[in-house]
Amino acid sequence: MVARSDPRRPPRILEASHLFLLLLSLLGGTAMAAAPEEGFDAERLQQLGERNLRVVEQAVADIAASGAPESLEVLLALRDGRLYRRQHDDVIVVANRVDGVMLYSDPLLGTLGEPLADDEVTVIRVSNRIRRALSAAIASLSLGSDDAAVRFAAARQFIDSPDRDLLEAIEEALAVEEVARVRQALEVARAATIASDPGQPDDARMEAVERLAEAGTSRARRVLLSMFAEENSALDLRRDEAVAVIDRNLARWQRAQDLWYGLSLGSVLLLAALGLAITFGVMGVINMAHGEMIMIGAYTTFVVQGVLRGISPALAEVSLLIALPVAFLVAGAIGVLIERTVIRRLYSRPLETLLATWGISLILQQTVRTLFGASNQRVETPSWLSGSFELGQLMITYNRLAILIFALVVLAAVILLLTRTSLGLHIRAVTQNRKMAESMGIRSDRVDMLTFGLGSGIAGIAGVALSQIANVSPNLGQNYIIDSFMVIVFGGVGNLFGTLVGAMTLGVTTQLVEPALGAVAAKVLILVFIIIFIQFRPRGLFPQRGRAAE
Amino acid sequence: MKLLRSGFFARLWIVCLLAGSGSAWADEGPIRVGILHSLSGTMAISETTLRDVMLMLIEEQNRNGGLLGRQLEAVVVDPASDWPLFAERARELLTVDNVDVVFGCWTSVSRKAVLPVFRELNGILFYPVQYEGEESERNVFYTGAAPNQQAIPAVDYLREVEGVERWVLAGTDYVYPRTTNRILEAYLKQQGVADEDIMINYTPFGHSDWQSIVSRIRAFGSRGKRTAVVSTINGDANVPFYRELANQGVRAEDIPVIAFSVGEEELAGIDTGPLVGHLAAWNYFQSLETEANQQFLERWHAFTGDSRRTANDPMEAHYIGFNMWVSAVEQAGTTDVDTVIDTLIGVQVPNLSGGMAEMLPNHHITKPVLIGEIQSDGQFFIVDQSEDLIPGEAWSSYLPGSRNIIADWRPPISCGNYNTETETCGGAQ
Amino acid sequence: MITARLLSGRMTVWDVAFLLLLLALAMLVPLLNLVPEAGSGFHLSAYMVSVLGKYLCYALLALAIDLVWGYCGILSLGHGAFFALGGYAMGMHLMRNIDGRGVYGHPVLPDFMVFLNWEELPWYWSGFDMFGYALLMVVLAPGALAFLLGWFAFRSRVTGVYLSIVTQAMTFALMLAFFQNDLGFGGSDGLTDFRDLFGVSLSSDGMRSALFAASAIVLALAYLCCRLIVSSKLGRVLVGVRDAEARLRFLGYRAERFKLAIWTFSAMLAGLAGALYVPQVGIINPGEFAPAKSIEAVIWVAVGGRGYLVGGPIGAVVVNAFKTFFTGNFAEYWLFFLGGLFLFVTLFLPQGIFGWLRQRLVGSREERS
Repeated sequence: MVARSDPRRPPRILEASHLFLLLLSLLGGTAMAAAPEEGFDAERLQQLGERNLRVVEQAVADIAASGAPESLEVLLALRDGRLYRRQHDDVIVVANRVDGVMLYSDPLLGTLGEPLADDEVTVIRVSNRIRRALSAAIASLSLGSDDAAVRFAAARQFIDSPDRDLLEAIEEALAVEEVARVRQALEVARAATIASDPGQPDDARMEAVERLAEAGTSRARRVLLSMFAEENSALDLRRDEAVAVIDRNLARWQRAQDLWYGLSLGSVLLLAALGLAITFGVMGVINMAHGEMIMIGAYTTFVVQGVLRGISPALAEVSLLIALPVAFLVAGAIGVLIERTVIRRLYSRPLETLLATWGISLILQQTVRTLFGASNQRVETPSWLSGSFELGQLMITYNRLAILIFALVVLAAVILLLTRTSLGLHIRAVTQNRKMAESMGIRSDRVDMLTFGLGSGIAGIAGVALSQIANVSPNLGQNYIIDSFMVIVFGGVGNLFGTLVGAMTLGVTTQLVEPALGAVAAKVLILVFIIIFIQFRPRGLFPQRGRAAE
Repeated sequence: MKLLRSGFFARLWIVCLLAGSGSAWADEGPIRVGILHSLSGTMAISETTLRDVMLMLIEEQNRNGGLLGRQLEAVVVDPASDWPLFAERARELLTVDNVDVVFGCWTSVSRKAVLPVFRELNGILFYPVQYEGEESERNVFYTGAAPNQQAIPAVDYLREVEGVERWVLAGTDYVYPRTTNRILEAYLKQQGVADEDIMINYTPFGHSDWQSIVSRIRAFGSRGKRTAVVSTINGDANVPFYRELANQGVRAEDIPVIAFSVGEEELAGIDTGPLVGHLAAWNYFQSLETEANQQFLERWHAFTGDSRRTANDPMEAHYIGFNMWVSAVEQAGTTDVDTVIDTLIGVQVPNLSGGMAEMLPNHHITKPVLIGEIQSDGQFFIVDQSEDLIPGEAWSSYLPGSRNIIADWRPPISCGNYNTETETCGGAQ
Repeated sequence: MITARLLSGRMTVWDVAFLLLLLALAMLVPLLNLVPEAGSGFHLSAYMVSVLGKYLCYALLALAIDLVWGYCGILSLGHGAFFALGGYAMGMHLMRNIDGRGVYGHPVLPDFMVFLNWEELPWYWSGFDMFGYALLMVVLAPGALAFLLGWFAFRSRVTGVYLSIVTQAMTFALMLAFFQNDLGFGGSDGLTDFRDLFGVSLSSDGMRSALFAASAIVLALAYLCCRLIVSSKLGRVLVGVRDAEARLRFLGYRAERFKLAIWTFSAMLAGLAGALYVPQVGIINPGEFAPAKSIEAVIWVAVGGRGYLVGGPIGAVVVNAFKTFFTGNFAEYWLFFLGGLFLFVTLFLPQGIFGWLRQRLVGSREERS
């Protein structure tokens, strides 16, 4: 639960928000009941469950304006979908999840006579309009919160929808605010509020515009663009100047942002291609079933999440971490099975591995379709992977960052495995000269099996990561197989460093070209580029040299 | 002719023989209903459900005594999401299996592929999916929405209720989004929206990297005017698109996305928590609380044996289409194609939102428009419903090429592309 | 065995049998469709005629693939692109033949262009109203693309799996490009709703039979050409290229020239197959460029047996007959079957159905060279 409003400081804030909401309700065309200073009554609460959305909107305004200590809790519950209607008598109840069990209570009385079961209540739904009203109301109620993050969110909300009636409240909050981040946001909010209020003196507004220009964010830019200024007035000209400054600033950041998108796309390509870099790059098996190994990894994630949910909902946060080794083992085991039964019979006929593995990929796809159905499966994102943070004006989403780091870690692990372990030594020995390796006592068929299993297992863990950004459906693998081959061939078969460079080059180029030409043309261009590139460097960026190359 | 001795060809040979003599005994046998939906390949995700709902409707009709005293028999074939195969299977249904009516197709290209076959062999096709319009064929009945029954009311809702002034029209690059966006662009400009306030973006099928597009949408939305995204993004590309929206913090309160191709079935594969509040416009939602819908859902769940199975808009279209066909056959007293085609116009049957759907002379039907907001349970919260049923328009009045064209399959016009200016049948020229 | 056959320089009994079968089909199928009354026991339905016609087009595509794979060792994963280009060229001719009978009634522009608000025909559409020009483009467009790609690729000695990947990238890029509406080929819907060819309706029995007969005859002629090529001196060089390219280079042969010639010819055959395919199935769209379709075509050749010429067509017909049967009756099992077939053939029938059959009939002492 978010902390309640601080009892020391709220009156003025509430008064201000009260005024604001009164205005809002008058605009809504419904006369408001006598100012309910003494709190809101059961009737208002009841109205939250009405079907008519205008009545609900009104009730939200009234409740926020009432100043009752319960207001914030009720409004937050409504926003978060935790407000319910008891079916038999329409009483409104708030739900709180305690140790995984829903506990329902009456928001006014605090308790409820008898506990309710989940099927005795219906959730109260809210529309965007109401959600907007809620955001404004909640922000005004939460400026006094103990939690800095909540105050920060409130300040942001004021920048997004400046309201002159809240100016005083913002200034008071500013006076006692100690956290720098929140202070800064509140200052911008203050500037935004002043700048957008034509009633303020011009010099105050001019100063506010300066402050917004200084902030340099797209939020500030939006305030500047939407503020009213008489045409060609000094204020108007200064505003245009400020917008131009921000635009230049944002354009610089945009280039950095595109670069980040490119690296992020590159890391997805790298992750998808890594397994193939082993089965195709190192072993020379044209493994068309590689995409299906990724798909199996993604489905493993889905199954692991389902099982964990059955054990304890608290495990959802770590489900991906648990899915990683499981996916590696499942996909690896299937890979070993394929190698034992099919691939080993085809080492002398490399092009035909293409046909056989394509057949395997069809069978795997259809198996998954038969087991799980053709439609997409819902893989949940743990909260630590959702959302984003800002680095200057760069927006970086956690899931993409995690994939980038993860791809690099897996790459490093594979390189270490190949260069620093005895298995790696054997793998390299067998690829470079099978006969010689055998005569040195290496069991080459066992090495083949383990190598193929390793490649498949890595594809499996790629699937765990990709389940966070792609559709988990039987067709998942098909979407990555062509790209993966392009990356390997471009980077140079048998060279993991080449795979890294290849993936990043293709990713960044795609993202830099895309804004100008559109997504389709960018993709076509990349393919044409690869085709031409191979004409000049038939063995890729970093060709393998020596006997093994032929 | 060695090939003909192998088992498969022998079987086909026999089928051909039977087909040839089919007309002699067809009257005593069951009435055959063809179902032409992909059960494998990429479209199986969407189309398998439509086969199931057709099987349910046919089974129920048989339980209630069949039609004209005869039983109905479903003939199911699989065109495997392969467009040339659609045409081949349609021919098979009409000539080898001698069906009296066909319910099928999902994508526009599959409908276009079977059109010449239905025209040549004079069959009846019920097409259940919202589409781009600009078509009216004598042999096809369109029970999905035309653009004026989905896109324009959706935009009106955003303008009036959400106060949207800036528009991103984002779609997959194929005919339906192209047409819908052109109609919307013309409509918005007519409503006084400036060029600079409209951004149009096309992406390929199955587009998966939405980072830069979503970030550009965010930038476009930070101009101080309320912005919305009208999405005609198709199928598989939606999951990564919505995920990216959520991760970049685009909330429905800031920049709502209204989708025309995202329904209950598509949401089943997405974690909808972060999407709450984004919208969709359809003519049916599973969450409708009407008596008819509750009954329908009960039957559907009983039939599939799965109480969590979702229902969606094209299913309702098939429900309406099937009942219209049954009603027309009863009225006509025969399954004869020409008679049924003529009788179908004007037929009224109840839809699932509590109104009566009517088959119009242009072979489209009347439909309500519903706007729903995505909820965390994957269902839609209906926030707006048109008061009247809206008649489907085959030809959009917002496109220059089709402004003067109407479709009316009643005499004396009897034409799908009648030019009201030149008063001739055969298009704009 | 092949060496022996090549040296003898004449056709084998298999070739003669295959050609006779094609000629017989070219006559019998139209006859059985046109002459007997519908309903009589001997009548072949229009449905069957178009299905069989489609198989023959696939057989021609398989023949083209076998020529480069079986004799030059080039595993092309992009022949579907040549097939589709030929199909588009024919489709464009058929579109122009609609002549104002489209839904908008525009005298020149196809419906989808009116729909996209285009004012006039793009330059690359002009000329397609003439059948001769269209026919030229049917072979020239895929031929030119193949020549361009091959000229660069063979010169820089892109071989083996790299070449396969390059061809796959090519067809994938073309698919994405053709999906775009702005390119002017009808976007994802492709070209459809054709009316007539030479003024005769495509849905008439006569036209259907004629197209079938044309497919059979073109296949027979193409087969003959291929046989002549592979049994000539050129053919022997080709086998040399396949088996030991480096050695051949040392002997002074410009291996890339031979490869390029055959590669281009093969692409043209694929284009012809596409051109015959389109009027019979009634639609051409970017789905034909899908990499999976090209791979499937390679599978036909593997199933039939590569390196015999006749194997490709056999594989194409067998696999597609199974496909018609399975997707009609056990849709869910089709992919299991198809996948299993690939595995079975690569593991246990490395010489394909034809190679296996021949071995059984002729005796095990004869081995493929």
